[in-house]
Amino acid sequence: MESVGDHVPNGLTGVKSNLEIVRERFKEDEIILYLFEAYQIKGPEDANRLLALVSSESGGTFAIISFSFVRTPLTSVNELIVNKVFAIDESFQLQQDCKGSITAYQFDLSTAEDGPIKYYFYPSESASYEEFVAKIISCKSSMARSDPETVLNFRWLNDYRQIGEVKQELKKRESEYIVYKDIIIYCATWNVNNKPCCDSPDGLRSWLGCSERAPDIYAIGLQELDTPAKAMLNSTQVQASVAQWNEKMVQSVHPDVEYEILQYHRLVGIMLTVIVRKQLRQHILRCRFKSVARGVLNTLGNKGGVAISLQLNEGHICFVNSHLAAHMGYVEERNQDYNAIVDGLRFDDGRTISDHDHIFWLGDLNYRIQEPPGQQRPGPLTDAQTYELLLQYDQLRQEMRKGKCFEGYTEGEIKFRPTYKYDPGTDNYDSSEKQRAPAYCDRVLWKGTRIEQLAYNSIMDIRQSDHKPVYAVFRVKIKTRDEVKYKRVQEEVLKAVDKRENDNQPQISVEKTVIDFGRVRFNEPCMQDFNVYNSCPLPVDFSFKEKDIHDICEKWLQVDPRKDSLMIDSARSIRIKMVADVHTIRGLLKKIRTSDNFDILILHVENGRDIFITVTGDYQPSCFGLSMETMCRTDRPLSEYSQEQIKHLMNDDSQEYCVTMPREFFLLIDYLHKQGSKLEGGFHTFEPRKSVNAHFNVVRDWLDTWSDEEFPGTPQSAAQALLLLLDLPEQALLEPFVEDLLACNSKSKAMDYIALLSPPKRNVFMHLCMFLREGIECQYYELHQVAVTFGRILLRSSECKAWPDYKVRCSQFMRLFIESDGADSLANRNEGAGAGSKADLPAA
Amino acid sequence: MAKKTYDLLFKLLLIGDSGVGKTCILFRFSDDAFTSTFISTIGIDFKIKTVELRGKKIKLQIWDTAGQERFHTITTSYYRGAMGIMLVYDITNEKSFENIVKWLRNIDEHANEDVEKMILGNKCDMTDKRVVNKERGEAIAREHGIRFMETSAKSNTNIERAFCELAEAILDKTSGKEAAENPERVVIDRRNNDKAPGYSKCCA
Repeated sequence: MESVGDHVPNGLTGVKSNLEIVRERFKEDEIILYLFEAYQIKGPEDANRLLALVSSESGGTFAIISFSFVRTPLTSVNELIVNKVFAIDESFQLQQDCKGSITAYQFDLSTAEDGPIKYYFYPSESASYEEFVAKIISCKSSMARSDPETVLNFRWLNDYRQIGEVKQELKKRESEYIVYKDIIIYCATWNVNNKPCCDSPDGLRSWLGCSERAPDIYAIGLQELDTPAKAMLNSTQVQASVAQWNEKMVQSVHPDVEYEILQYHRLVGIMLTVIVRKQLRQHILRCRFKSVARGVLNTLGNKGGVAISLQLNEGHICFVNSHLAAHMGYVEERNQDYNAIVDGLRFDDGRTISDHDHIFWLGDLNYRIQEPPGQQRPGPLTDAQTYELLLQYDQLRQEMRKGKCFEGYTEGEIKFRPTYKYDPGTDNYDSSEKQRAPAYCDRVLWKGTRIEQLAYNSIMDIRQSDHKPVYAVFRVKIKTRDEVKYKRVQEEVLKAVDKRENDNQPQISVEKTVIDFGRVRFNEPCMQDFNVYNSCPLPVDFSFKEKDIHDICEKWLQVDPRKDSLMIDSARSIRIKMVADVHTIRGLLKKIRTSDNFDILILHVENGRDIFITVTGDYQPSCFGLSMETMCRTDRPLSEYSQEQIKHLMNDDSQEYCVTMPREFFLLIDYLHKQGSKLEGGFHTFEPRKSVNAHFNVVRDWLDTWSDEEFPGTPQSAAQALLLLLDLPEQALLEPFVEDLLACNSKSKAMDYIALLSPPKRNVFMHLCMFLREGIECQYYELHQVAVTFGRILLRSSECKAWPDYKVRCSQFMRLFIESDGADSLANRNEGAGAGSKADLPAA
Repeated sequence: MAKKTYDLLFKLLLIGDSGVGKTCILFRFSDDAFTSTFISTIGIDFKIKTVELRGKKIKLQIWDTAGQERFHTITTSYYRGAMGIMLVYDITNEKSFENIVKWLRNIDEHANEDVEKMILGNKCDMTDKRVVNKERGEAIAREHGIRFMETSAKSNTNIERAFCELAEAILDKTSGKEAAENPERVVIDRRNNDKAPGYSKCCA
């Protein structure tokens, strides 16, 4: 099939077309028949794909390889990533009329291993779907035409799947590090006619020691080892015989170097033994064996073949020893045996005989010499002339010429007498009554590249069998890695693959990495937006990463969106909302105390880097959330403090205070005291964190500026502010003695603990109780409600909360202090806060 | 799609004060390049580089962290997954050397217990500005029982060596754990009915 490469329009001159670039990805004997751009449908999404219909000359098969790529038009072969491989075999299917299609331009590809994978395409002028399909159909039908028995060779596809990029690259650059090294292979075959192994010390040396140079590999095939009847039982006797033969062979090989048996394999009477030089052993990277039984019922194995496959350096070598059907007239049976071995033999790693660089086939092939009846030999002939004449009628050569067996195999010139059939112990042809015609039953053939035969002969003086042994010596150039060059190429490949991965890392850029909110005020939400851009040629997913606080950000922040995808060249605006309110102020102040920023967000790029987004601003301090101690350290309204200054005060743990109790607290109590009964409902049904709306901010400002103006809110809002002031600080007012106080049942005992509180807390507590007691006495407020509401706030405790009687204890405690017992009224005991409503608090 | 192009994956982390040259070290190692412009790393970057050690392809995934003080808390959360940590100081910056102790403490608190550590005194090409001599670096490394090297990303001194040595130390640890796994060579199929004497040894 011809390549369509030249028919595809090539956009700009000087710029490589997609096809040219995709072609670089394949080997020389792999031809792109068609390149089709489509979209793979993955659920609700899709992704661009380039589908290459490829034919392999060496494999004789076709496949579709689906590439994903980072951009189109492609600029380099590095941008192609193999995504799927569809071998066009029996199971391959292309479905055009699929149910549930969202478009008419949709098709499915599937094989036994994969799929169906859905694709759709846009009709275009440069590549036609019809043509693509027509080519696939023609490939598929050419597969169907081939013999159903043949195993399709898709090994070439392994370079595109299941092996990593590095291997692919190394394979492509093979020529840069491959050298060819000569090795000597010695093949030998002998039908031993069920005779036991002879025990003379030099018995086999004349057969196996014939090469001048010591061979690197021996492949020795025996046939009719023991009797078939005995051999079917895997008796110790058979094993002993096998061991004896193997031992004898190892003893009889070339004496100059040390050898060892690499592998042997036996099928009934057919045995193949591979012996290698000890030094060569470490270069043999793989070795497998397999047999195909033929003979009686085609299963018994008295005939058939055994094979050993091995990898020496980068060269794949296969040896086959076969014993094919006997008798003059059974040519067709021999051919069938041969074909059955070729088609049926598959090593455990999937390799077939033809998947080797160098194949040596030896054995008793049993092809006979079929001279025409009444053939007269012309006069006396030299040996050579006789062999030539006989070989004209050699069935093997005739069948090979007809293409019926051993296709692609070569045999060297035969310059020896027929090897069969002799009277055992002699060099005389069969003298029995059967008078079998002499024949070249025992042969050695080869197939593959870089093989040179050095010798091919039989041994006349080994006489125990009715066959003469045969041997052939070859020089083979084995593909071998030059380790130095290989290492260099490998390093370069690793570097290139790493670079590709580094360069293709998903990237996004952010407009800024510091989000500054500027002035942030209590109970006033604010927002900032910033952009993120996709700065790489791939779609990118990003998300904010969860931190050790089990959320992506602190409570006072809200991020939207928390994750998203960015198409190529697109941007997304991200909104961050900052809320410093009754729910978050406690945490925010804690954060401010230890940090210069409000938070750091981790913007995570899927499969890429993390970017830190620092959220900062200038929090305008307010009294809400501050501890009584901190407030007592202020010497001016909080509105005049900066974040940095308040941070400093929050971290100050000295016992020196500017005032005895916070002025903000005092102002609220003073106001409420004056309002008396105007606080409708008292401190009833109070959930202070509810209904803190923007109107509340005037109260906030009044407190934070120490305003001289009239209180700007209602008595209710003042009560709410008071509760918040008490409730928002990190620590409950009566900490660290809440647990102890809850256990107290007398006021005097409780007072012992109250005395231990910090002065600001103690003063606030005492003043508050006085105020409440008076309000209750005057019946402005209801005792029970006050006890419940304030008890829960002043004795707030996450530990004690679990006590079954926690609530009861809280209000009982409060009752000790607010129930009227004739103690001094607030009016009489104002020594700390001063009677004047706007008067400065005395210094502590 | 086949992705695995390596035998082992090691995660390494670069930490140290801002400006000591962590990013430059990584850039030199991964891209064999150097730039003297200082761009502060705001986050966690990573590069990969495959090295071959003892016949194994080891993919190093190297995380470069932001050195700025305000990111310290957040970067410690990345220590956990690291198999090796490069702790970098600048030989021309006394403070960065003094902080080594602090960084070591951070590692103790946040990294895996068996993490491999190495101290690098970077910018060793700047001899005229040197304030921390090599002996002090060696001493602190010895004191804590960890490896030490002086490096220069600019003059490409010891960069590759440092990473390979750290990777090798990790390899030593991991290979102990997986010693039982496949030997290098492909084992030859020996499922033969006939057990012949004399060649049943493994081929490796």
